[in-house]
Amino acid sequence: MLKLKNVKSCFTPNSIQEAIDMLKKSDGKAALVGGGLDITVFPNPIIEQFIFLNKLGLTYIREDEENIKIGATSTITDIAKAPVMQNYLKGNVKIALAEIASELLRNQITIGGSIARHHFYSDIIPALYALRATIMVSDGELIEGFFVDDFYRNDLKTLMETCIVVGVHLNKYDDSFQFGLKRFVRNATDIALLNMAILAQIEEGVIKDVSISVGSRPGPAYRFEQGEAFLRGEKLTEVLAKDFESFTKSNVDVAKDMRLSKEYRQHLAGIYAKEILLDFIGGVR
Amino acid sequence: MKVCYSINGKKKEFEINAGEVLLDVLRRNGYFEVKGNCYMGTCGACTVLIDGLPYTSCTMLAAKVDGSEITTIKGIGTLQNPHPLQKAFVEKGAVQCGFCTPGTILVAYALLKNNPDPTDDDIKKMLDGNLCRCTGYVQQIEAVKLAAKMLKKGDE
Repeated sequence: MLKLKNVKSCFTPNSIQEAIDMLKKSDGKAALVGGGLDITVFPNPIIEQFIFLNKLGLTYIREDEENIKIGATSTITDIAKAPVMQNYLKGNVKIALAEIASELLRNQITIGGSIARHHFYSDIIPALYALRATIMVSDGELIEGFFVDDFYRNDLKTLMETCIVVGVHLNKYDDSFQFGLKRFVRNATDIALLNMAILAQIEEGVIKDVSISVGSRPGPAYRFEQGEAFLRGEKLTEVLAKDFESFTKSNVDVAKDMRLSKEYRQHLAGIYAKEILLDFIGGVR
Repeated sequence: MKVCYSINGKKKEFEINAGEVLLDVLRRNGYFEVKGNCYMGTCGACTVLIDGLPYTSCTMLAAKVDGSEITTIKGIGTLQNPHPLQKAFVEKGAVQCGFCTPGTILVAYALLKNNPDPTDDDIKKMLDGNLCRCTGYVQQIEAVKLAAKMLKKGDE
């Protein structure tokens, strides 16, 4: 079954500059290929060229004092199994990544592809919002970092015609921070219908700082800023978790489709919000 | 365009269409043990090992893996000399129609290479992407555990 019948050629550039030059010359008819999952599952008949990114040296997970630096062609498996991720935020980011899709697909999904495609069902995007990640983008000469919120305020389609996502930087957080992600899927390989990620700084039982993101197909993930304001400065207790469940159900903005109604997703989002906070209470104890 | 793979230890060169997926290239060239079904990475029937890692070949661009080592189910054992996983799947009744079996065994093979003593949970998580409509999965989990025991005893 030849789904990509218009593709005539493949290139494997050796530098980011070379890749971007090819992309610019293609007149919108080339596709950058990291893992290639998206392009084979959702084939675009306009595409006539593939530009494979596997020789750009972008498969790495490194750390310095402030950041974990992940190259764009690193797969979810690479990231989840990287030594530096094992204890990052008490291992909860690794656990969240290791539950995305199946092992077969995690071996193929790259972080750069997930960021650049910005699919509404991605579990990676809400995680990056909550983690306040910085997306590294190159135009072939310079590498520029965008906070994830700012990155998705760009006209992504135009940006991706002349630039490549080269990686992502995750802040290192001290032990006062906790992370959790919950997702609703019908089976292992299904795409998420709802997901929620929370990063919270808890000092002496009080939520000092928090970032929350929610994604629900077919809407894009977003920062749940009302929820952040509700929690910031509050003492983390089981009562607060219960109150936050009700608040989330009433205030979260979720999409609907034939698979799940808006009301059901709001209900689920409330439960996830409560469960993540209860997990944090367990972590503090 | 031409691509070159090492398939089950033998060098092979194929003429491919630039937009083809690996599954189609393999089946066109006689590797019928690689099953095609969903073409969306959902069912796992088309699983092969590429440089030792399991992938759905229906979502893998054939050109992207030029130069790779590919292992199909026939690369891990033969009818005369089956791999312990193949023996265990038969012994535990984990094979009925057999359509999903090559993919499931290859994923289990990759699991046991890295984790020779997996828990039920490890096995369930690893086999998440391989759908089976016959066995109900329980026998598959038992088969993987049996194969792990056989491998420990050196039954290779």
